[in-house]
Amino acid sequence: MLFSYIQQFVPSRIEAENLLVSIFSRLASRLEAAFASSLSIYCWLQIEARKMILEQRGQQGSTVYPKESAEVKTYYSSLLEEASSEHQWVFREIFLNGRQREELAQQAGKDQAYIGDLLRECMLIIRKKLG
Amino acid sequence: MGLASPEEAAQLERLLPFYSELQSAISDFSFQLELYAIQHEEPPPPGVFEKIRDRVRELPAVRDPTYRSNERTSKRAGEYIHVRESSTHIRVHKYWRIAFICIFILAKLLLAGFLFFYISFRRSQQDLQSLRDQQVKTNKARLSPDPQDGDK
Repeated sequence: MLFSYIQQFVPSRIEAENLLVSIFSRLASRLEAAFASSLSIYCWLQIEARKMILEQRGQQGSTVYPKESAEVKTYYSSLLEEASSEHQWVFREIFLNGRQREELAQQAGKDQAYIGDLLRECMLIIRKKLG
Repeated sequence: MGLASPEEAAQLERLLPFYSELQSAISDFSFQLELYAIQHEEPPPPGVFEKIRDRVRELPAVRDPTYRSNERTSKRAGEYIHVRESSTHIRVHKYWRIAFICIFILAKLLLAGFLFFYISFRRSQQDLQSLRDQQVKTNKARLSPDPQDGDK
């Protein structure tokens, strides 16, 4: 399950495999935090895995995931197929590329609250699609 | 999904103990995410599990000799590992709520039906008893002699 999740950030199977091994070995000693969280174990794993992937990507100084690839529908992004391109852009940049809301607000020429609202709407769409 | 800002996450943690609907919503969404993950899962390449196991075994916490000795084993036999459950509510699927409401309504309808038919039955019993009493009185009146004719 986590392998498919990682592949939305890292399409290469070899790199995704290495990341999966690295993530599990690093999280093995932190499982107590997972039990203390109000989230399910798998959701906690997803969140921590995403943090590690974005952290590693930042250390490498590269963005493996193509920036402008709106036509690629992967995992959670596929749930936003019917959303506007603006929603898809916000979700992709924040969730997949790990950019901050302030950065996107500056790029779009809007305020941070606007980006926050767009992100919230994306989550509502995803939640509705999953339900 | 890890998209909340630190302020939003802190606000959620503060509100969780006071609003059970929030925990219920989180549980529902977590369940949906896991279901989606199962439906779209792709198995990793073969050999990944062994690599993970080997990597975990290399961890200092696992490699520490004191963890492998019998003394540690006997010491840990009585050791209590506290797993803190933060939620005070049980988690069930949302469809159980509809099922419980339907069962509750059905039970109330059955109870109302039972009471209605019981009262009808009691009334019928009372009517039957009064009819029987009336018949007995009528029979007695027919059988008893006319006192006026005997005196004459």
